[in-house]
Amino acid sequence: MKISFSLNGKGIELDVDPMSLALDVIRGLSLTGTKEGCGVGVCGACTIMVNGSPVSSCICLVGTLSEKDVWTIEGLAEKMPELIDSFVENEGMQCGICTPGQIVAAAAIDSVGANTPEEIKKYMAGNLCRCTGYQTILSAVEDHVAIN
Amino acid sequence: MQSTDTEFMIPSTVAEALQGIGREDSIFLGGGTATALLYKNRLIEPSRVIWLGNIAELKGISITQSEVRIGAMTSVAEIAGHSRLAGLLPGLCAAASVIGNARVRAMATLGGALAHADPRQDIPPSLIAVNATISIKSASSSREVSLSEFYEGFLETVLEPDELITEVIIPISDNRSSAYIRYTPTSEGDYPTVGVGSSLTVASDMKTVVSAQIVLCGVGAVPMIATEAANSLVGTTGDDQALRRAASLVSEAIDPQDDERGTADYKTEMSKVFAYRSLKLSSGN
Ligand SMILES: Cc1cc2nc3c(=O)[nH]c(=O)nc-3n(C[C@H](O)[C@H](O)[C@H](O)COP(=O)(O)OP(=O)(O)OC[C@H]3O[C@@H](n4cnc5c(N)ncnc54)[C@H](O)[C@@H]3O)c2cc1C
Ligand code: FES
Ligand code: FES
Repeated sequence: MKISFSLNGKGIELDVDPMSLALDVIRGLSLTGTKEGCGVGVCGACTIMVNGSPVSSCICLVGTLSEKDVWTIEGLAEKMPELIDSFVENEGMQCGICTPGQIVAAAAIDSVGANTPEEIKKYMAGNLCRCTGYQTILSAVEDHVAIN
Repeated sequence: MQSTDTEFMIPSTVAEALQGIGREDSIFLGGGTATALLYKNRLIEPSRVIWLGNIAELKGISITQSEVRIGAMTSVAEIAGHSRLAGLLPGLCAAASVIGNARVRAMATLGGALAHADPRQDIPPSLIAVNATISIKSASSSREVSLSEFYEGFLETVLEPDELITEVIIPISDNRSSAYIRYTPTSEGDYPTVGVGSSLTVASDMKTVVSAQIVLCGVGAVPMIATEAANSLVGTTGDDQALRRAASLVSEAIDPQDDERGTADYKTEMSKVFAYRSLKLSSGN
C-alpha cells in the first residue's frame, strides 16, 4: 500500500505494508539513529516525533503515520542544533544508545507544555537510561526549555 | 518490506468505518499501542484493519452545564492536559496522566483505552466512578451502555465485533467530587498493583454524602465495583472514620490474584490503603 507523510520536513511516499512497524521502515530508509531497545513501548530508545508529539516507533504501525508530520533524530539534529548543544554542554549522554530517543523526546516537550523541573522529570520519565543517572539529561532538557 | 494480506482502510467518516467492518476478522484501530504489540507477536492476524485516525467527528472534548462528551479518538494526552476537564473530572485526568509514559499517552486513544479491556487499566475505574456511559454504533444500530456494565472478563467486553465506540458521556454535577490514585511497585510507567477511582456526591448542605462510588483496577478480571463499601458512606459526612470504614470494606468486592505485582493478600491490603487515599482525595480533606 502507498503511504505518504512528511519525513524530516520533506514529503515522501512509500510502498509498504501498512502493518509494518515505523521503527523498521525508518531504519530501512538508512535513518539508523532511531534505535530499538525494549521493542514494547517502555524504554524510549525508538522515539520519533509525530505531529509534535513523542511516539514509540516500535509499537507504531506505519499506516497510522499517513499524512502526518514525522521527525527523526537525523532531521531534528539539523533543525535544532541548540538542543544538541544542550545535551553536549551538560554531558547528557554516556554510551549513547538512549541519546537519540532522549533528544527527540526533548524536542517534543512542547506537546505537553512541561516547564518546571518536576514537570520535565515526569515527562522524561519514560525515556530510560542505564548510564547517566539522569541528572545530566534532565539538566540538558531544562536548559532547552529555558532557552525556548 | 514484506507484505501481508492485511488490508488497511483509512475512512474519514463513522459511516464509512462501520461499512468497512462488515467483514470477518476486521478490527478497528485507534492509536494502535495495544494492537501493535498483539500483532507483532502474531496474537492477532486481522484480514482488515480500519484505522480511525482520520475521522474528525470522533475527536474532541465538549463540555456543557450538565455533561462532558469525549470522542473515542481523543488522545489520552489531550485528556491528561485539559485544564477545564481537570476541574470537572479530576479523577479521569489523574488516571490519564499516569498511563504508561508520554509516548503511550500521546498515541493511545480513549476508545482504545476502554475497548482493550486489560483489567489493570487506569481509565475504566476513573470513569465508572463518575457514572460514564458510552455510545456504541454499528452499521445497523446504535446504543448507549453504562461503562459499569461494559466489561465481561479479561480482554472481553459487551462490544460486538462490528460495533464502534463513538464517544463517552459523563454527567456533571457541582456536588460531586472525584479522584483516582494508583500504586505501582516497579517503575512509574508500569501497570499498577491496584488503582482506585472514587467519587462522592453530597446533598445541598454540601456535607451529607448522598451517593458514592469506589472502583478498583488490578484486583480482578474486570474493573471491580465496590458497591457496598461505597454505600456505607451514604448519610455520613465523609469524615475520616467513615472513609476508613468504607475503605476496609473494599476487600469484599475484589478478587486479586498472585502475580509479579504482589500476592493476593498484599493486593487486598493495598486496595484498602489506596481506597482510603482515593476517598480522602475525593473528600477534599
Ligand atoms: C508501554 C505501555 C505501557 C502501558 N501502561 C499502561 C498503564 O500504566 N495504564 C493503563 O491503563 N494502560 C497502559 N497501557 C495500555 C494502554 O492504555 C493501551 O494500550 C491503550 O489505551 C490502547 O489505546 P489505543 O488507542 O492505542 O488502542 P488500539 O491498540 O488502537 O486498540 C485497542 C483495542 O481497542 C479497539 N478499539 C480501539 N478504538 C475503538 C473504538 N473507538 N471502538 C471500538 N473498539 C475500539 C481495537 O480494535 C483494539 O481491540 C500501556 C501500554 C503500553 C504499550
Ligand atoms: S524500543 Fe520502542 S520504546 Fe523501547
Ligand atoms: S547513555 Fe547509555 S543508556 Fe543512556
